[in-house]
Amino acid sequence: MRIAILNGNPDSDNKRFDHYLSLLSDKLTEEEHHVTILQLRDMKIAYCLGCFDCWLKTPGLCIVKDDSYRVCEECINSDLVVFASPVIMGFTSALLKKANDRLIPLILYHVELVDNECHHVARYDKYPFTGLLLAKGIDTDDEDIAIISEIYRRDAINFKTEFQFTRLIDDPIEEVIHEINSI
Amino acid sequence: MLDHFLAGFVSVEGNSFETFYLRSVNNRDQQVKMFKEANHVLIGFPLYADSMPSFVKEFFESLEPICGKLHNLSLGFFVQSGFPEANHSRPVERYLEKLARRLGGKYIGTIIRGNANRIDEHRGYRKKPVFKYLFNLGIHFGQTGEFDPYYLFRLAKPEKIRGLVLFITRLMIRSRLATKNWDKKLRANGVFEKRFDKPFSKP
Repeated sequence: MRIAILNGNPDSDNKRFDHYLSLLSDKLTEEEHHVTILQLRDMKIAYCLGCFDCWLKTPGLCIVKDDSYRVCEECINSDLVVFASPVIMGFTSALLKKANDRLIPLILYHVELVDNECHHVARYDKYPFTGLLLAKGIDTDDEDIAIISEIYRRDAINFKTEFQFTRLIDDPIEEVIHEINSI
Repeated sequence: MLDHFLAGFVSVEGNSFETFYLRSVNNRDQQVKMFKEANHVLIGFPLYADSMPSFVKEFFESLEPICGKLHNLSLGFFVQSGFPEANHSRPVERYLEKLARRLGGKYIGTIIRGNANRIDEHRGYRKKPVFKYLFNLGIHFGQTGEFDPYYLFRLAKPEKIRGLVLFITRLMIRSRLATKNWDKKLRANGVFEKRFDKPFSKP
């Protein structure tokens, strides 16, 4: 399986988080998955302006040419995208959200009904499954994790895929690998 | 849309407000200072990928040092989405309620309005009641410091599309009426034929 891990850890001193991802990547590679970790804090990604030019002027491409192109390319050509982030103020980091917001060129402006709800239409033939890998902060509780998971589950509907899992970096790495292998 | 709410708010004697734009990310210190000093704060944003835009989240992160300290603050939100149903915004509403608690302030509610993408381009009959409800909500807020549940309900409607509206929506999607304005803009930009392009596809 081709796996893209979006590392939304904004703090290079938070070694534990990066170390967990690196270990996870090594173990998944040993099991013959192809893993790419995108270090978002080292990438130049602008805020989405909500201009919709990626639908109306340069279909499928953001008018701001930056590292979001690489994020889009990795994501759409993967089988699984893992959104990885420490929980900050009850949600995934602004850094990860920035990359997330810039995935909008991957879908179309057209609307379809999914379970009698309006959602966007697929631009591509195939979309990756999604999952969350989080690190709890000192004030993070189960309600926060449930809220984040629900928002990413909802986002997956517009991303024309299915949300697969929420895992914490406190979980044994073997459990995360098992979760990924069972997709 | 916020302008209509604010017009109602200042129509009540003695009320005033200041606006700051969270997308101005170079001004964070000033924004946090204003936030700390205010009694009532209303944060408005369009729904991006089912939650707040990243620059709004970044602002929330800059509030981390003052978590639990804002006991005199009452905090309300306004979430606008393009799809007609309010239920797209309910998960982020849960987050926002928790955020107000996390900061130690009082949560007064979230104004949710769907079908609002570029509402200024909509014809009068669609936007008029929305603007009236926002104005009245602003008056009520200006008088009581609370959101009137009646106007929150009216603005959020429909929670989900059902019955005749669902039938009409299905019809509009099938007949491509739902994308007529978008298609027009694509033609004007000379890229209509490229609208389904897949630039990141690998063979």
